[in-house]
Amino acid sequence: MFRQSWSPYLAGAVTGLLLVLSVLISGKFIGASTTFARSASVIEQTVGIDTSVFEYFTTSNGKYGPASLPNWQLMFVVGIIIGAFVASMLSGDFKLQAIPGMWNERFGGNPFKRAVVAFIGGVIALFGARLAGG
Amino acid sequence: MSLLYGIVTGIIFGFLLQKAHVLRYDKQIGALRLIDMTIVKFMLSAIIVASIGIYTLKDLGLIQLSIKATSLGAQLVGGTLFGIGWGLLGYCPGTAAGALGEGRIDGLWGILGMLCGGALYAAVYPFTKTYIISMGSYGKISLPEIIGINHWVVILILTALYILLFYFFERKNL
Repeated sequence: MFRQSWSPYLAGAVTGLLLVLSVLISGKFIGASTTFARSASVIEQTVGIDTSVFEYFTTSNGKYGPASLPNWQLMFVVGIIIGAFVASMLSGDFKLQAIPGMWNERFGGNPFKRAVVAFIGGVIALFGARLAGG
Repeated sequence: MSLLYGIVTGIIFGFLLQKAHVLRYDKQIGALRLIDMTIVKFMLSAIIVASIGIYTLKDLGLIQLSIKATSLGAQLVGGTLFGIGWGLLGYCPGTAAGALGEGRIDGLWGILGMLCGGALYAAVYPFTKTYIISMGSYGKISLPEIIGINHWVVILILTALYILLFYFFERKNL
């Protein structure tokens, strides 16, 4: 159970159960994207940018502003990193890897190229997620 | 207490994501290329169980739902951008964090990009609020509500469709 991989159906069903329990016990639905917007406000504040000039960081009593952290979802995202690390160590899947296999086949082994595309993808994906409210 | 619940829930979720192999670039892009449906199997299985569980809790009066507002502008434009970004990065926000936990460095580049994406979104929010979010705004609606039928009928139909889809995936070895 801890060493082998799980069927996606089983792992998905258990995840569904985890979500239901989370809603019942702590009233929280699973999500991650808002944490990156909130963290951006904390980083801006740390480097001396006045975040109050951004309406997004002050709207709904600063729901997305620097004072909103730490919160449940930030800890949830940190937990994902820990949980994935533990599971990958147990199953022997942990591997420091700069270029995924499918990327390498199509675009080659230049780690800088992969880093640039991953970074730009991250910018666009998070912008889209925040706009859609996901 | 809320912080403790957050980290425990996250650890279990990250564990499950890793065990199902859905944190991998090859699986995520495989799903977008319609050649490996591992992620779709995982997501739809979670949705089946969660929709039954959440509506049971709601019917028992144990929880209240706070539905997100529907805005066609926000969700069509945002969803399209999310898809483009997801295809480039190969991880969604939560799985980028998990991929990093599994040692995948590109997850970290994605996280740095997402932090910049968050800052960028905040910077242009007055524009999106006025011109995009206001487009096709319907407020807090849900599928059972607009069709006007009991939510259990919707859940039953969707569950049946998802199971048919699973059957198809397994037959085609996707």
